[in-house]
Amino acid sequence: MKKRSRLLIVLAVVLLCGYFLYPTIKWYGFVPQQTKELATGSNVQIKEYARGQASRDLRELKELVASNPQAALPSKYSFLKTIAKANYKATRRTAPKSWTVSTILGGFSSEQALFNALESNYRTSLLGVKALGNKALQLGLDLRGGMSILLEADVASYEAKKGSSASSSEIAAAIRQDIEILEKRIDQFGVSEPVIRLQGSDQILIEIPGAADPERVNSFLRGKGSLVFKMVDTDLTAELDAFYKANPGEVYTDTGSLKQPDFLPAGKIAAGYYVSDEYGIDELERYVVINEEVGLDGTHLESATTGTDGITGRPVVNFHLDNLGGDIFYKLTSTNVGKTLAVVMDGKVKAMATINEGIRSSVQISGFNAEEANDLAIVLRTAALPIELVVSSQQAVGATLGEDAVSTGLKAIIIGFILVVLIMFGYYHLSGLVADLALLLNLFIMISVLSAFNFTVTLTSVAGLILTLGMAVDTNVIIFERIKEERRVGKTDIAAIKAGFDKAFWTVMDANITTIIAALVLSQLGSSSVKGFANTLAIGIVSSVFTALFVSHLVFDATVTDREDKKLHISWRKN
Amino acid sequence: MLTKDIPVIKLRWVTWALAILLLAAGLVSFIMLGGFNLGVDFESGLSQRIRIAPVGAEVSYDGTQDMVLSISSAALTVEERGDAGVRVTTLRFADHPTAADLANALNAMDGISASAVDGSLKSTALLSGYGFPATLGEVAVKLNFQGSSRTAIDEVRSAVNPVGNAKVQTVGSEDSSTFQVRFGIKDGATQASMEEEVKNALAAHFGEGNVVVLQSDYIGPKFSKSLITSSIMAIAVAMVLILVYVWIRFRFAYAVSSLVALLHDVLAMLTVISLLRLEFSSTTIAALLTTIGYSLNNTIVIFDRVRENVTLNKSAPLAIQIDRSITQSVSRTVMAALTTLLAIVPLAIFASGDIRLFAVNMIFGLVFGTYSSNFLAPSLLHWISQAQGKAGKKA
Repeated sequence: MKKRSRLLIVLAVVLLCGYFLYPTIKWYGFVPQQTKELATGSNVQIKEYARGQASRDLRELKELVASNPQAALPSKYSFLKTIAKANYKATRRTAPKSWTVSTILGGFSSEQALFNALESNYRTSLLGVKALGNKALQLGLDLRGGMSILLEADVASYEAKKGSSASSSEIAAAIRQDIEILEKRIDQFGVSEPVIRLQGSDQILIEIPGAADPERVNSFLRGKGSLVFKMVDTDLTAELDAFYKANPGEVYTDTGSLKQPDFLPAGKIAAGYYVSDEYGIDELERYVVINEEVGLDGTHLESATTGTDGITGRPVVNFHLDNLGGDIFYKLTSTNVGKTLAVVMDGKVKAMATINEGIRSSVQISGFNAEEANDLAIVLRTAALPIELVVSSQQAVGATLGEDAVSTGLKAIIIGFILVVLIMFGYYHLSGLVADLALLLNLFIMISVLSAFNFTVTLTSVAGLILTLGMAVDTNVIIFERIKEERRVGKTDIAAIKAGFDKAFWTVMDANITTIIAALVLSQLGSSSVKGFANTLAIGIVSSVFTALFVSHLVFDATVTDREDKKLHISWRKN
Repeated sequence: MLTKDIPVIKLRWVTWALAILLLAAGLVSFIMLGGFNLGVDFESGLSQRIRIAPVGAEVSYDGTQDMVLSISSAALTVEERGDAGVRVTTLRFADHPTAADLANALNAMDGISASAVDGSLKSTALLSGYGFPATLGEVAVKLNFQGSSRTAIDEVRSAVNPVGNAKVQTVGSEDSSTFQVRFGIKDGATQASMEEEVKNALAAHFGEGNVVVLQSDYIGPKFSKSLITSSIMAIAVAMVLILVYVWIRFRFAYAVSSLVALLHDVLAMLTVISLLRLEFSSTTIAALLTTIGYSLNNTIVIFDRVRENVTLNKSAPLAIQIDRSITQSVSRTVMAALTTLLAIVPLAIFASGDIRLFAVNMIFGLVFGTYSSNFLAPSLLHWISQAQGKAGKKA
């Protein structure tokens, strides 16, 4: 191959790796800590934050325009100018000559439109940062702190409760339901991006980054008694709707939650009616006013299933209450016939139904599509898991220890790296620097491949990384020793380089292929911590072969000629 | 450059005798000591890394919202979740340098009451262990800080003694008052019950809340069993595949020799692990496999040279060819071992826990791997070739 095309290949690889590494560098180097914390929150939290900020900004802009309509637009709102311009154009109005607060606000048809523009600005920027974070190199729980729990289905107690032996498909179905319920419950935590995953056939793996509090996890395995039934006030709901429509800036507080308007009497609260959107985020559909007083507590729920109405064929949710719950529910429903009942979870209205008659323990709710019915059944079921789970293994690492591990790991990498660089230069003169360049490139490629494939970096992969640093120079050493030998038998520099690389080729390949066999087997069969190590090692082997056989070779070919001033320097001695 | 070849083949009896002596010592120690010092992932149980650290402040909350307190390296954060949404308050250590300052700032928040126990402790010394982020409630959450007092390992031993079946080790320097405590699983005990028992035992000795759990690993009986089988599987499969590859690329004698050398490396490392009572965990498996890869790498480089020399000069006896090849590769061998060692030694010095264990294992692995590739595998190749030659002549 020509030198130029080889150079192009090397440049292409470097550029590609740079592209993959860019999010990691930006995330760890340039995103402020506070933004990181906001962006790693759940989508719901991001939404709440954006709403809160937008409400505040809207008030600020309104105050500004009231005090001085001719004031220049503060620079942080400059994005509004573009939107306003487009709006002027769309409504075929002539755009104003000078952009002041009042002319910009005039570019929006309503307060609501302005609010939406502000909110979406906050939301898009945070979601952008979040997407960046997902592309960046992920640190494992042992490096950033967190918990990983492996739960196992307690089949014995399930069968004991049922009274007969359970088939494997029955247990699999129960475990799937468990996972659905756990996912719902973990939403209540607001922790950043937990992982819940089926492992094998009867185990559930839960990973919670950043949290090492067993109490929270226990409470989440037990479920929270946060599900309640409350009565809806229809008149006040209509009034609230009108009020919010008229004052979009008064809907949310600075923290993004609903603002309780002053006209609501004591004992009544405004709440959002939420429907899960396609991403599984609760989307606010409308607002309702509910009684503060709890009609029935969710702990009285015994079971909940979905079904279809025998006459209309519409999906329905059936649930059963225990005896005490039945009594309370009968009292509630019989005195409120014709009114609306809301199912409230964590302060959010999840479902509403009109009461037709007094109901005791067996309840049927209808009025939604099959998916919504299923969602509601899961919500109602969060009180109890179909199959009990026991902790099979649990690993928890506190944040302090994780930070220590990162700093010592980095320190060891840097020291090891410097020592290797020095000894290579000390032994191989300028050629040692070529090996050092290859080593640096190797580190660069490895980290970028790790982030490109979304591998999680754990303690063991740090070990793998460091080990690869030692082994990567080895490939160069094999080649250099060969070149030296060829020179000793009297070959010219160029001939020695060519012969050295040719003869070393299969040695390098054989040595690395056998090592990669071990790495690949480990990455398939090893336990999860060993896998991280094996993946890093495998990536390191491939990239070290590339850097040595391709990059180092190119550097030698490009710099060494048989002229006296461009001689090969591969040793401090004459030969 | 060496002027004379290293007499590897002449020394073959000595080098093999040394190896066998070491392995025999390993076998004896293994039997005498009754097996390995199994890590928590192989022997079910509870392993915790604890730090004795004074309480600097206590925080409790009396309200209806969900209050969560978390600690990062630069700040303490309180997150309030409830009907009114999420509100986050961040107290940066730069603005609140001592425990007393933090307590004051927390006190100013709605429903939170905080009191400084030792207000002079530095905020940057705040520890975030097991139990954090903490949900605030009526029962006070204790904030621990790295203290200056030293705790002797014997104190920890006597503290956890009532739990039974306990092992205690110091982690890092003695000044850090950090220990690794391990407990075998008891019949009928669960993860929660064992944690509770350990916590109570430590609290009884060091006072309520004066112990921070930095890390807590619990491995149930079933899990550790599956780990053992999968690890043995991994090693066996890797070795067979390597054998097949070397057989295809070289010849049968080379494949068998390199495999026996690998077996020696694994056994020699197990010997050291048994003699020095190093913990045997899944990290050890990683180190064993890396050693296999490394040693094989070395052996292949040497065998490659032997093969090349044999084709170049068919008339010279194999013993001389082998000595020649090893000598030709010696500077490469030294450089490879040296650079890898330079990368690993800092880990063994600075790191702690699993990584340090890995590094220590690897240092031994490097030594054994280099030894077996340069002495054991070549002499075995010599023996097998001789035997094959005799069999060939007889036939």
